[in-house]
Amino acid sequence: MKQWQQPILYLVAIYLVLLLGPIAGLDLPRIAGDIASNPQVLIQQILVGLVNGGIIAIIALGYTLVYGIIELINFAHGDLYMLGGFAALTVISSFGIQDGSSLVAALPAILLALVISCGLCAGLNMLTERFAYRPLRNAPRLAPLISAIGVSFIFQNLGLFWGGLKAFIPAMGANSAAPKSFPDLLPRINIIKALGIDSNISFTTKDLIVLIFAVALMVSLHLFVTYTRLGKAMRATAQNRDAARMMGIDVDWIIALTFLLGGSLAGAAGLMVGLYNNTIVFTMGFTAGLQAFTAAVLGGIGNIFGAMMGGVLIGLLSALSDQYLSSRWTNAWVFAVLVIILIFRPGGLLGENVQEKV
Amino acid sequence: MPNQVIKKIKSSGMLGPIAALTVALFGGWSGAVMGWLLGTAAGFRSTQGKIIASPKMGAQIGAYAGLNLGVWFLVASLMEGLVIRPLSGQSPTNLLMPLLSGVVALGAATLAASLMAGLQGIPPGKKRRANQINLCFVALLFPFADAVAQTNWIATIIQILIFVMLALGLNITVGFAGLLDLGYAAFFAIGAYTTGLLSSPQLDLEWNFWLVLPIAAAVAALAGLILGTPTLRLRGDYLAIVTLGFGQIVPVLFRNLIAVRIDEPISKMMAAVFNRPELAICLVGCDRPLNLTGGEAGINPIGRPSLPILGEFQSSNYLPWYYLILVLVVLAYFAIGRLRNSRLGRSWAAIREDQLAASAMGINLVNTKLLAFAMGATFSGFAGAFYAAYISAIFPSVFDFSISVIILCMVILGGLGNMTGVILGATIIMAADRLYLPQLAQILKGFLNTAVLPNIANPQFRDFLAVSLDPLQMRLFLFGLTLVIMMIVRPEGLVPDATHKAEMHSSDAEAKKAIASAEG
Repeated sequence: MKQWQQPILYLVAIYLVLLLGPIAGLDLPRIAGDIASNPQVLIQQILVGLVNGGIIAIIALGYTLVYGIIELINFAHGDLYMLGGFAALTVISSFGIQDGSSLVAALPAILLALVISCGLCAGLNMLTERFAYRPLRNAPRLAPLISAIGVSFIFQNLGLFWGGLKAFIPAMGANSAAPKSFPDLLPRINIIKALGIDSNISFTTKDLIVLIFAVALMVSLHLFVTYTRLGKAMRATAQNRDAARMMGIDVDWIIALTFLLGGSLAGAAGLMVGLYNNTIVFTMGFTAGLQAFTAAVLGGIGNIFGAMMGGVLIGLLSALSDQYLSSRWTNAWVFAVLVIILIFRPGGLLGENVQEKV
Repeated sequence: MPNQVIKKIKSSGMLGPIAALTVALFGGWSGAVMGWLLGTAAGFRSTQGKIIASPKMGAQIGAYAGLNLGVWFLVASLMEGLVIRPLSGQSPTNLLMPLLSGVVALGAATLAASLMAGLQGIPPGKKRRANQINLCFVALLFPFADAVAQTNWIATIIQILIFVMLALGLNITVGFAGLLDLGYAAFFAIGAYTTGLLSSPQLDLEWNFWLVLPIAAAVAALAGLILGTPTLRLRGDYLAIVTLGFGQIVPVLFRNLIAVRIDEPISKMMAAVFNRPELAICLVGCDRPLNLTGGEAGINPIGRPSLPILGEFQSSNYLPWYYLILVLVVLAYFAIGRLRNSRLGRSWAAIREDQLAASAMGINLVNTKLLAFAMGATFSGFAGAFYAAYISAIFPSVFDFSISVIILCMVILGGLGNMTGVILGATIIMAADRLYLPQLAQILKGFLNTAVLPNIANPQFRDFLAVSLDPLQMRLFLFGLTLVIMMIVRPEGLVPDATHKAEMHSSDAEAKKAIASAEG
């Protein structure tokens, strides 16, 4: 492209956005008016976006961990998180805990649900790695990708099947494909009000707990990867598998460990989303997986901080788009932003710049 | 161990089990139709790797293969009549009927196989043409055999052919040029919606289908260019996610373009600044917002094609639709085959193998990549146009991500880059999904209802069994399992392309042979 063409191209692009944007809710004067007339809504949406972003980031970490180490887009990860939600619901409901049970009484059940859903997802993920991905480790990239898509279908069907087990788990309800209601256990005390600030913004203890939990998971993952021997081995394996093997690292075990970590993050996210949204459905893995995957790519797939940042960005973007653009167009906007960012930074925001020379 | 399994499958052929499964599930005269189709395939297979000196020798080999296949039919037919029917609660028949249909199937298989194998004995110059004529003969006469045998497969076959078309198109992008496209259904949607908009009362445009068909393909190709442009610089997985995003955006677009109003932005700003509303220029949907795509309800009804003698195609009469899509698929097959061997096709292969080297050889990467997307999209545009006219109604939910994935799986299961393989992959996946699984579900349901469920006392457990043993509920599971097993056992696909196969088994002796033959 010639030097003088570039500004013209940008002008044309901006004009097109101004011309066609209003169809999809991007009507700048209206948005400016909305924000000016009620700035509290903006803050509210940012808070909502942060909490949702935290959850997305946790799932995105699972994608990025696996990608970082074996360069595989683990399509099944989103569905694994869905299975985590089902496991958590099964455990919690088997203690007879329902809507309105006190948090103190439910706490042991929640902790047990956390352990079981993390364990189940970690185990499933490791099994998948052993039987579906490991045999394909030296095959071309497309083979494990298709395998992952296959595993994703299997998990989705398992979720459907699990949802139909009403004979054994009454909480699953009559219809196997219908959304299941998850007991609402986290307290909803508005912190802003409790602090004595008079406003319409609501930020409840429920939001706070989820946010803290997400941040704690991210921090502990970061600490693990940065400071422990195993974390170091993971980083080494990610950098160069053969060199790592020569340094005496059991590469197979480290890769299995990565899947274990990713799986437990998915399990934790499943429980967290169940407690936060109070509903789970067998297709939620696909939508959440897509969002999280987008987040991981946005941040630069393979990069742990990138996944966190991408998750929060996607969360914020969705929340703001729901409010100010149009909730029906949110999905399209998220991907549009992704495409635009990838045009300018083909390796994602924090990823190393790996572009094809065209 | 897996190698031995593969060898076994290769030597016995999957045709026999498929034959048996068909007859066991469908019963009746289905064996005769299937015997004809599979017999042709068996006849061709039996001569592969052999030197056939004369048509007579070929016919003998083919007849043997056909007989071999026919035995499967005969046994399965008897099984169906004597075991499966009574057990699944269908009306029982006497011994004669299954025996007769089994023998007819055996005869059909033997005849078809010896005919096809006999053709392989023709001198090489005319062999290709003879094969083509025979296959055309089979394809043209299929609807009549289907009608006579009362198997009613033709509606499903039309669906299969639509997907064959899509898979052939995606094969250009993924198989030839090596650009992973996870949003291919978007082009399908664009083709279908273009047809829907141009030949329906939605915009009061009721153009002729024959005019709309090339327009739909052109619009899809244009969409391919639009998708291709921002992805030029992206590497493998980033390319995949952008195409996936495109595949997500397009259905959202069609779902939500229900109240379109476009104002010219500069004049609107001027109007706001000078406070003179008459300055604003409105372009589209000024009086009332334009409902472009009908949202969730989609576009309905869409005009059908018509021909001088046949008149307008009716939805109840499958014949003209079958021939139309057949012609489209055959044209696509030849066009794509020519494309692959053209200068452009060889450029695609070059950038697939090594982009840098290709570029150094003087290949224009931008044009070649863009054309790969555009050409791939063109064929799905044709498929979309046909689909819209055939169904006569389109909804955004039809063009989900799962469709993109299924088409990709067809391409990879069949054999990336190999057109025969891709056709086979599409046929197997679609036939299994639309034909065999529903029939299996029905028979299993009958079996459960007559033989198992009445004997179970616990009503809850009975409900559970009735619901959970439904194969239609296990569709995804079976599909996923097939994908995983296929990738482990045979990552190069059913009918692998020589170079792709060589990549997949870079250490095998067999692959070295494949490389040698691909190079030579």
